[in-house]
Amino acid sequence: MANQAAAQERLVALREQIARLEGKTVPALGAALPSAAEFRTEWQRDDTRQTRLPLDIPRIDALLEGGLPLDGITEIRSSRMADAGAASGFALSLAAYIKSRGNAAPVLWVGDVVCAMEAGLPYGAGLKQFGLQPEDFLYASPRKLADALWLAEAALASGALAATIFEIPGNPKHFGLTESRRLSLRAKASGSPLFLLRHGGEEEAGSACFRFLTEPAPALGRRLPDGSMLGGSIGHPVFALTLEKSRNPAPFSFLLEWNPHDRQFSLGDRAAEHTAPRQPKTNPGARFAASSDRPDRKEIMGSVLAYDRAS
Amino acid sequence: MGRRENAIRLTALDEMAERRGLKRGQGLAEARAMFPDLDAIDEDEAADHALLEAIADWCDRYTPLVALDGRDGLFLDITGCAHLFGGEEALIRDILKGLFQMGFDVRAAISPSPGLSWASCRYGRGGVIEEEMAEASLAPLPVNALRLEEKLVTSLSKLGLKRVGDLIHLPRAPLARRFGAQLLFRLDQALGSHEEAISPRRPVVVLSAECRLAEPVQAEEHVLEWTGRIASSLTESLDARGVGGQVFELALFRVDGRVFRITAGASKPLRDPQRIAALFGERLTAVHDDLDAGFGFELLRLNVLQHDVLKTVQNDFTGDGEQQISLADFIDKVSARLGMDCLQVFELRQSHIPERAEMFLPAIAAPSPVPETGGIFKPRADRPLRLLRHPEPVDVFAATVPDGPPQRFRWRRVVHEVFRAEGPERISPEWWVTEKDASERDYFKLENRSGQRFWIFRKGHYGPDKVPPTWHVHGVFA
Repeated sequence: MANQAAAQERLVALREQIARLEGKTVPALGAALPSAAEFRTEWQRDDTRQTRLPLDIPRIDALLEGGLPLDGITEIRSSRMADAGAASGFALSLAAYIKSRGNAAPVLWVGDVVCAMEAGLPYGAGLKQFGLQPEDFLYASPRKLADALWLAEAALASGALAATIFEIPGNPKHFGLTESRRLSLRAKASGSPLFLLRHGGEEEAGSACFRFLTEPAPALGRRLPDGSMLGGSIGHPVFALTLEKSRNPAPFSFLLEWNPHDRQFSLGDRAAEHTAPRQPKTNPGARFAASSDRPDRKEIMGSVLAYDRAS
Repeated sequence: MGRRENAIRLTALDEMAERRGLKRGQGLAEARAMFPDLDAIDEDEAADHALLEAIADWCDRYTPLVALDGRDGLFLDITGCAHLFGGEEALIRDILKGLFQMGFDVRAAISPSPGLSWASCRYGRGGVIEEEMAEASLAPLPVNALRLEEKLVTSLSKLGLKRVGDLIHLPRAPLARRFGAQLLFRLDQALGSHEEAISPRRPVVVLSAECRLAEPVQAEEHVLEWTGRIASSLTESLDARGVGGQVFELALFRVDGRVFRITAGASKPLRDPQRIAALFGERLTAVHDDLDAGFGFELLRLNVLQHDVLKTVQNDFTGDGEQQISLADFIDKVSARLGMDCLQVFELRQSHIPERAEMFLPAIAAPSPVPETGGIFKPRADRPLRLLRHPEPVDVFAATVPDGPPQRFRWRRVVHEVFRAEGPERISPEWWVTEKDASERDYFKLENRSGQRFWIFRKGHYGPDKVPPTWHVHGVFA
């Protein structure tokens, strides 16, 4: 019995130590322990600013322990470089979401040379349609990873940015646990979020609060005013996400739709895939794409009063 | 030696050769005949010029207005500078001493006009010439001292006009009629009755502050500390003009005469000494390897190359101003350390061609906030989130003819089955820009089976007697 109590106490002490390292409180234990006062002051200091931004989807917010961390790293990973579009889209949608919730500061994108060659550069007109103002967007293209790390750290330390997106290809050797921990501490100190965008990379130990695996997912159709879908059209972007790293016991997969107009996330559903009209047919005839630019030709206005002379 | 007038001639002589009676402009063959042991070296104009530039750099410590004169001279405009060095005599002694210690044999003269100084250095005794002594000191010099053409000098000496004194008191009108206007022009310049401007090598800076150190500094942190102090001495002048500096230059004069110039820019006008010093802190880290402190820097000078009106804004209670400052600080820091082109902002342009519709501008040079121009083309169809730098060709296996989307295509060795498509959006070339292979493009937004979305265009048209069109990927959607 005494042994068990001692073990319990030891366990509590270790948990406390880990919590202190991570800069978090252990709510159930915090009150009873002698160092609780110390904890509380830390907690109170943090409490003055918002550290979590709820995504307004109760199920996801519960998974994220209250929302998107505003003072830490969120890693967004794609398993292939070909999925760069989806991963960049999800990172940018999170940045746009933060900006739409009352943060006027600009967004910084720390780009990478390889990723720019493979997947292209962020495009101003596209960003505008995606819900981010191009005026509020800074693009940095450091030549080396060391420069990029310095830049990301300086950006976090300045605290002048709504969000920093740090793009890296794969799992570079010089970006390990130490660097990730350093950035995470910086983010914590200044209270600005960092999105680590890892294109075509493996899972890797890091000090990110959460890690999402992003995969592309078919979009729903464009919504018509009467609530139905316009068949064959491509609507708001949808991402297939897997929450790989979190405090939840098992990874959780879901579809998330980003609405650039309302700057709002919503849960997508797999059904979209099956209701899509363009199933391969046995006899594919002439199938026309949904018109996106303008109607075929202008309708003639007015009524016909007289026909042209035949001869 | 060097090639002059179709012959290899002597262009410069050392003291020994001068003593033995050789002259500049003498043919090499002739000189060799006189002294078979002559040691002639090919001239290297570029190296001579570089050396002269380096000496001019060194002379920057005396005055900001230093001009190169031909291949072997320097003009220093010391108006208002002499008293800083204890008078003209002391100044000239200081210059000569400095250069002598570096191993140069130099003549120098201070006089009211550049022409007289030139004459006095090359043909007279040099030294300081007061205004009233100008004529008297010019008179005994040969006419060459007036910077005249060779032909003119010959014709003057044929008439026995060998000294400048012979010319000064001759009636001006006949002189001009006979020898042209140049003679009198040069004479007036030497006498100071005709203003002559020298053209300085470097643009005249708006504001400048410097600090001479008795004990040279080597360490970077000391350089920075001094930079901060110099910057604080600039604050008052900047304040008085109501401006802040935007581009700063730090000139570091090394003990051995080498000068390093480091430029740093700021996105917003600056006045705060701490922030100016911080700018150079980043710059020094960036140029670390190129900056060799050697035995230390003895003179530090901070120049303001560009300035702008500094709008002082009162902070509001929300502390928004703080954030503005920290953003400007961040931009300056990055631009100073990683170069101006590292951090960029978008500027939307008035064009409907996707790659021309935007441009990246250095964040430090961009007006903030970037003005929203009214005439920006608003695309009606979707634009991709990431645009490839160059459209990449794809193989299209099946497409709806004549103007439909592809059914299947191969990009980067992967075959994509098209699931849904939107389009086409036709983008025609700009007729007001002449291009070589401009042709209209039909853009489609495609989604493949796994949900990847692409922006693809077709260049050209399908038709019986036409060149088959080519397909390209131009971007990816989220």
